[in-house]
Amino acid sequence: MSDEVIIRTAEGDLVDRVYTSPVDRWQHRFRTTLLLVVAIAAVLITLVMVHYFLADSTVGYDDIREHFKYGSIGSEPGGSVLTPVGGVLPPYLIFKTLPAICPERLPGGYASLGFILETSHDLPIGISRRRRLGLDQVGVNCAACHTGTVRTSAAGPEQIVLGMPAHQLDLERFFQFVQACSLDDRLTAGNVIAKAEAMGTPVSLMQRLLLYLMVIQRAKLETLSLRNRIGPLLNDPTLPPWGRGRVDTFNPYKAIQFNWDLSSLPRDELIGAADFPSLWNQQPRDGMHLHWDGDNTSLDERNLSAALGAGVTPVTVDYASIQRIHDWILKLPPPRFPFPVDPAKSTRGKVLFDAQCAQCHSFTGARTGNVEDITSIGTDPFRLNSYTYLLATSQTLLFPADVHHFQHFSKTNGYANMPLDGIWARAPYLHNGSVPTLADLLNPPAERPALFARGYDVYDEHKVGFIADTAEARAKGSIYDTRIQGNGNGGHLYGTTLSEDQKQDLIEYLKTL
Amino acid sequence: MMESDVIFEPLQFRNLRVKNRLFRSNISGRFDNYDGTGTQTRISWEESFAKGGVGAIISSYAPVHLRGRIMPNYAMIDTDDKVPFWRTVGEAVHRHDCKYILQLSHSGRQRDNPGVENFKTKALSSTSKMDTFHGLLCEAMTLQQIRETIQYFADGARRAREAGLDGVELHASHGYLITQFLSSAINDRKDEYGGSLRNRAAFLLEIIAAIRKEVGDDFHLQAKLNAVDFANALYPWEKKGNTLDEGIQVAKWAEEAGVDAIHVSIGSIFPHPLLPPGGFPPDELNWWYGTMISSGVRGYFNYSMFHFRFLRPIFSALWERTKKNHPVEAVSSEYCKAVKQNVNVPTINTGGYQDARVIRKVLEEKYTDAVSIARPLVANRDLPHILRSGKNLPERPCTFCNRCLVNAIANPLGCYDVRRFDGNQEAMVAKIMEVFHPESDLGHESIVSGPSV
Repeated sequence: MSDEVIIRTAEGDLVDRVYTSPVDRWQHRFRTTLLLVVAIAAVLITLVMVHYFLADSTVGYDDIREHFKYGSIGSEPGGSVLTPVGGVLPPYLIFKTLPAICPERLPGGYASLGFILETSHDLPIGISRRRRLGLDQVGVNCAACHTGTVRTSAAGPEQIVLGMPAHQLDLERFFQFVQACSLDDRLTAGNVIAKAEAMGTPVSLMQRLLLYLMVIQRAKLETLSLRNRIGPLLNDPTLPPWGRGRVDTFNPYKAIQFNWDLSSLPRDELIGAADFPSLWNQQPRDGMHLHWDGDNTSLDERNLSAALGAGVTPVTVDYASIQRIHDWILKLPPPRFPFPVDPAKSTRGKVLFDAQCAQCHSFTGARTGNVEDITSIGTDPFRLNSYTYLLATSQTLLFPADVHHFQHFSKTNGYANMPLDGIWARAPYLHNGSVPTLADLLNPPAERPALFARGYDVYDEHKVGFIADTAEARAKGSIYDTRIQGNGNGGHLYGTTLSEDQKQDLIEYLKTL
Repeated sequence: MMESDVIFEPLQFRNLRVKNRLFRSNISGRFDNYDGTGTQTRISWEESFAKGGVGAIISSYAPVHLRGRIMPNYAMIDTDDKVPFWRTVGEAVHRHDCKYILQLSHSGRQRDNPGVENFKTKALSSTSKMDTFHGLLCEAMTLQQIRETIQYFADGARRAREAGLDGVELHASHGYLITQFLSSAINDRKDEYGGSLRNRAAFLLEIIAAIRKEVGDDFHLQAKLNAVDFANALYPWEKKGNTLDEGIQVAKWAEEAGVDAIHVSIGSIFPHPLLPPGGFPPDELNWWYGTMISSGVRGYFNYSMFHFRFLRPIFSALWERTKKNHPVEAVSSEYCKAVKQNVNVPTINTGGYQDARVIRKVLEEKYTDAVSIARPLVANRDLPHILRSGKNLPERPCTFCNRCLVNAIANPLGCYDVRRFDGNQEAMVAKIMEVFHPESDLGHESIVSGPSV
């Protein structure tokens, strides 16, 4: 601080003897200090805000089973606050309060859609939590579609089986509900805060600010954007519903990852729902044709592609997390059949299996993992046709110049032969889940049930499959109509000509796989 | 005419007899030369009050040292060459059977306008903490500076006596230097001049002793003291300062040390919400506070509070909050009564005296022995004559608007309440300017019956 400032003028230099009085000096010092304090505060606030909004932290689980159920694979929105990328669900507070905000749209809460709630966690299995863009976000992980429940009797306890197809989950209705309630007028910041607090979830001042200033509006905009993309699929009442235990894997993919205009696609291509597969025992599957139609032969690419289906994007993906799950499911054993097995029948059944099924369905079978042409397998073609050449080509555009670059996708003309490990827990059967039990599958198509319930988790140990024909099953599950497009239960005539005894023996053996 | 009016009974001090109980309190305008030498205007000013009938005039503050000058253009008593001027003032006043008491003053940190001689030095005080109203900066006096300053007061008293004046008053109230030592809200010294009340009073008592040593015991010496500081009247987060008990104790010690009278007031700063009692006009503050902006580090802040109308209520709320518990007229009389009951020397009380009924009451009921009046006398110089004539109030009494107070920092002193001039600004200004014309019969037009003195 100089006491003299020279001001140059045309007439000569003027001396401005600033800060030579105590008052000036004090005020100069005060203002300098104030400026410094304000500047430091501004920098600190900026740093805190940058840290706050750039922070990407997720809850870590040492236990791989906990990680599978609740860990993030990167399907929550990321990118930046201004241009969020990825994610198909609204932020945590909104997601958690939606059932309370639109109670008539979902009277039983998320559990009524088949989500599994454990008392130790406040989110269902399959919903991960991750702090991104300044908020706790939620996303869908592998466990949502690959964790199932089984009961050995209606009064028995619910057994949660990891890696099992989520036969009880109605994913389509879940997305329809989230979409509708996110756009409902009752979704307001005040309502979210009130409902969250009523649930005992504290809402911080920062969260309130964000909710009021931008999050609700952004969630609605993102939902609208999502609806514009997948609306032709989700909101068209003339398309067959997916029903419980099924997902249309590739049509949302076309809309979300590639921004295709679904309404311009042939209507039949939009019918592509198929059963969730099991995740266990992946090691011996490496190199086989994976997915129902066998469109990929790489476990890694299949896993990553499935993650994309859950809302992961190349920007938000968490490779390390997916790798953990990949490593775990390589050797995850299939669950054991929860009822006694007749060893004599089973032994006889093995002989039948080896002779008539193993070629396509044992891990060592010559045709196992190969694609069986649609003309010979004869099962419903809609799922096969929903995966197109154009989509396969487009998938090679993802992750360009990256080790994760997709290179193994191809268009096939049939369905892949699957190993049958843990087959009892993979009911209902065929790629579209059109046959409720193994016993039904061994009957000719005309004798297979035309209408049945699926999603009910009480098991039928004799027919091997979930009980599908009782009033209770119809009340708890969704009705599956084999007569509508994509739901056909024809084809796979193998074994239908065996005698009743042979069928019993074969079924007994299949229980042991 | 009331022949036995208590107001007009003479008052006998140890060394001084005053003809009535009405004192002109300390007030003047910026009438003198910048360097502290006096002018005819000051003589005319003081004489006009003497003519008006007051028993004694206490001069406006007369700095005992340049560094302790509150603002320029007030006659000083800091050097011997000022004595002849003060003698002239005394003679002019004496011609009207009026006594003249010189107020010895040192601003301490409360230097409202430091002037060119002072603006590059901090003011001296008991403390190094700035004044909390204007942010006037200061530094704590060293012991050497304290000793020197005590002597400045003694020298001032000696000069007053040499000038033939009737006495001196120590300005030990209203937040000036001696208050800065006395007040527990201000004095933060750790040496023998700080801490206990006795230590804080040491500066005052040593000044009294030094004056007595200089002028002897037969010269009138009075001290203007705060009965109560009310140091947190403006900003509630400040300390409250000296209590009534402490004020009484200081008065008792001053009496023991040799003062002949106690002039009782209140308020740790000047102006203070309670004193001078009455308004604190924001329009005048907006117009004239600008002259003080660079005096202290809170000048801009205060000016903003006065300038912007939307901020005025904030300041007003702070300024008014303590006033609610006090009357405008005789604002400090209750405190004076408490002091009077504890001392033997006469008391003079200031603050809101104009109405004869009020003055009579405080005199008859022994609240005080005399009252001092400033602003009502500025409005009506002949207030004593008017009261003497039996009226309780002048026809156009002082409204206690305090416009004169705010104008004093920038303009010639006079009554600035234009309502008293029927809204005629020119007439008001002309009246104020009369002080510069010695031949005018300043402020005496309102006499309703001739002077009877």
